[in-house]
Amino acid sequence: MILRPFLLLLVLCAFPGSRLAAALTDQVARANSHLATGHASEALSSYRALLTSPEFRAGGSPEVWYNRGLAEEGVGDAVAASLSFRRALLLDPTLAPARRALSATMAGLGIPESQGWMPRVSSWIAPEILVIGGAVVGWSGVILFLLLVFLSRRRRGLILLSLAMIVTGHGASIFGTLADPRRTANSQGVITAKVAPVLRATPSDNGDARGTIPPGSPVSILSRNGPWWYVVSGPSLSGWIPSSALTPLLDSKGSL
Amino acid sequence: MILPMQRLRSATLLLVSVACLLLSGRLGAADVSVSAELTRNRINEGEMAELQVKVTGTQQADLPREIGVDGLQIRLTGQSTQVQMVNFKVSSSVIYSYIVMPLRTGSFTIPSVTVAADGKSYRTPPLPFTVESGRAAPVAPQASAQQAGMPGMMPRRARQTPPVPEGRLAFGEITCPKKTLYAGEVVPVEIRYYFDGRYPVQVTGRVDFGAEGVLVERFPDPKESREERDGIAYNVLTFRSLLSAVKPGPVNIPPAKLPSQIQLPGALPPGFDDPVFQQLMGGQAGFSQPRELTVATAPLHLEILPLPKEGRPASFTGAVGQFDVDAIVSNPRPSPGDPLNLIVKIGGKGNFKGMGPPVLTETNGWRSYPPGDKFDGTDDLSYAGVKSFDYTLIAQEPKSASPGCEFSYFDPVTARYLTLATKPLPVNASPGSVAPAPPSTVSSPSEPPAGPATPSGATASGKQPLSGLSLRSWTTPALRSDFLIASLALCVASLALAALLAIRDLQLRGGTAASRRKRESASLLARVADPDADALAAHEAAVALARVAQDSPERSELLGRLEERLDALKFGARSPGVLSEEERAALLASLRSLPVKSRIS
Repeated sequence: MILRPFLLLLVLCAFPGSRLAAALTDQVARANSHLATGHASEALSSYRALLTSPEFRAGGSPEVWYNRGLAEEGVGDAVAASLSFRRALLLDPTLAPARRALSATMAGLGIPESQGWMPRVSSWIAPEILVIGGAVVGWSGVILFLLLVFLSRRRRGLILLSLAMIVTGHGASIFGTLADPRRTANSQGVITAKVAPVLRATPSDNGDARGTIPPGSPVSILSRNGPWWYVVSGPSLSGWIPSSALTPLLDSKGSL
Repeated sequence: MILPMQRLRSATLLLVSVACLLLSGRLGAADVSVSAELTRNRINEGEMAELQVKVTGTQQADLPREIGVDGLQIRLTGQSTQVQMVNFKVSSSVIYSYIVMPLRTGSFTIPSVTVAADGKSYRTPPLPFTVESGRAAPVAPQASAQQAGMPGMMPRRARQTPPVPEGRLAFGEITCPKKTLYAGEVVPVEIRYYFDGRYPVQVTGRVDFGAEGVLVERFPDPKESREERDGIAYNVLTFRSLLSAVKPGPVNIPPAKLPSQIQLPGALPPGFDDPVFQQLMGGQAGFSQPRELTVATAPLHLEILPLPKEGRPASFTGAVGQFDVDAIVSNPRPSPGDPLNLIVKIGGKGNFKGMGPPVLTETNGWRSYPPGDKFDGTDDLSYAGVKSFDYTLIAQEPKSASPGCEFSYFDPVTARYLTLATKPLPVNASPGSVAPAPPSTVSSPSEPPAGPATPSGATASGKQPLSGLSLRSWTTPALRSDFLIASLALCVASLALAALLAIRDLQLRGGTAASRRKRESASLLARVADPDADALAAHEAAVALARVAQDSPERSELLGRLEERLDALKFGARSPGVLSEEERAALLASLRSLPVKSRIS
């Protein structure tokens, strides 16, 4: 009875990304081939078609999003490329090529990329591993603690070890959840308008202008009021912009 | 309770008395001195001034009620007392206030005032006093005569507050450190507006200043101060901003204007025009009327010179001022393929907003991007400060030194172009490793289309696509149903395990304490009821049973009897023998009547 959920957790921990159906691999290989041979626009069309398939409805492939970013970069759409690289990093924060590509793209756009503690932690260890691995360690600690308390109370060292496993494991699980960029991705977006949108004090075209946000800038979406969204860019710039000027990393349901 | 309160009151009274005595002794011991002071020694016709005679060191002094001066009317209006304590030294002074009303224009000398105090006479120094003829309406001699005879009953005409000239009410001044500028040069400009300190002022608009050929930045909030000019105290509003020269040629900037509203003294209703009433109102008339006023400075003429074309360096990007330059690398050892940040800091004073980024040198083997910039001002106007340009550089080959940079600017003081340069800084950067090409084992890759290909043969940036293909959720594990179900199942399983282990532990211990006691009681009762058991065994069992029973008077009494009987059976001369049926039944009945213990003792 105890082993079944344990096995499920272990499976989740050992295989965080399940493999896609073999049918899709052909399409991916074809798109990669286009990209590798320098036909970026054809590759981009293939990636776009691929990412609309039902298999990618609830999940995504970081490799495909990264490759799509390269294709978009190849056709000269740096803003769309930055969005694709961000989505690739959302799925796999440890994907170093995507991080490097995003950094270079943002530098090309002239937008300074600020790194908080979350991206740093998640680039070092995947939050998925922290959450699931921490849960496995934590629950193992719980089981060990129960067994020791009822069967071998004299082994105080092992009891202390089991308590440490409980605290460390579940603590890591909570920390991994907090550091996971997917947790807040549906309130994050990228300015994808060709022209820098004007931030307005009120959600109307006549609102006082507070400044502009250059295309490619990441923003936090704080409020949605019909076609006007209230966004924050950087530490001090905030205001209303048309929702058509930005693309959220994920939709409000947490998927694409 | 009453007695301590009375004592407290007595003690307080005593302390206050002693303090008063000490204070009066101190005051009495002080030397008497007198002084006289005019609030304004120069007024316009129709205005009034106040003469204050200060007598220090005594509380009682005799002063004349009027001071006779030809052309002036000087009358005593009241007195006030000041007590000061400095370093526990108490000093007291009485200020006698006189209203000085001019009857004509001219220069006067207010004579010495004789002050009689403590049996002695003291004299104040004579004071010069001037009454000028302004644009104000002169006071009619008849009215003055009536005033002299009947104070407080001035005719209606005399009650009208004379108009005050605007030039004295408010005026503006502009300060620009240079009158000849170079195009692109920035100078701080200061505009000061003076308002007569006697009247309340409200600024009703913004400073209007500027002209074609110059740019003036928005004025921040002004600083307020107080300044005296020609014997008049003014409230001063100081606006500071930066003026940028844009177009070569002469520029005439119109006066800087500031709309405002001044509350001037208005006409006094009958009965309120006595100087004593005005004195009570703190020198103000108490009735005012607003006057709209646009305060203006003098116009400003500037000569804008073009920047010389001779000697202009190639790296000149529009900086005009005095600057220095410094460079640092924030991450000198980036991971292979990661960008390196070269930060060039330009400090000094000048047109930071108009300057372009410095030019990088020795950039072979580096890919660079347009820099981001940030300015940290060291003054309110952002005229002086440090501007940082952050270059993102990616090494295309192994590099041990960063690019250098060159920055040129025009110094308006020396009228020369100057070029500053920074040396390459030691770094350790290398290009990123190239990702493997797509595997050749792809099942059926179609041939690439015959469209135009990027020259690199891969992507525009030279990066290869990743060949792996994994599916990951867009949702964090803690919010996914599989994780939540597994966690819930583990929680339930842990509880079940705990329950199983607890039951097992209970079984090993022989059940709960109550059940163990119940079993023991039944066993002891059976031993008492056993007809084969002799009297000694039956009483031993009965004593044991009574000991585990719940404590009560009946139990204590029975236990005493049973122990006594047991001792008799044990140590008595007679053999214990067998317990009779009646005795056994009585013993069993008394044992069964004992209350059962609910908890383990």
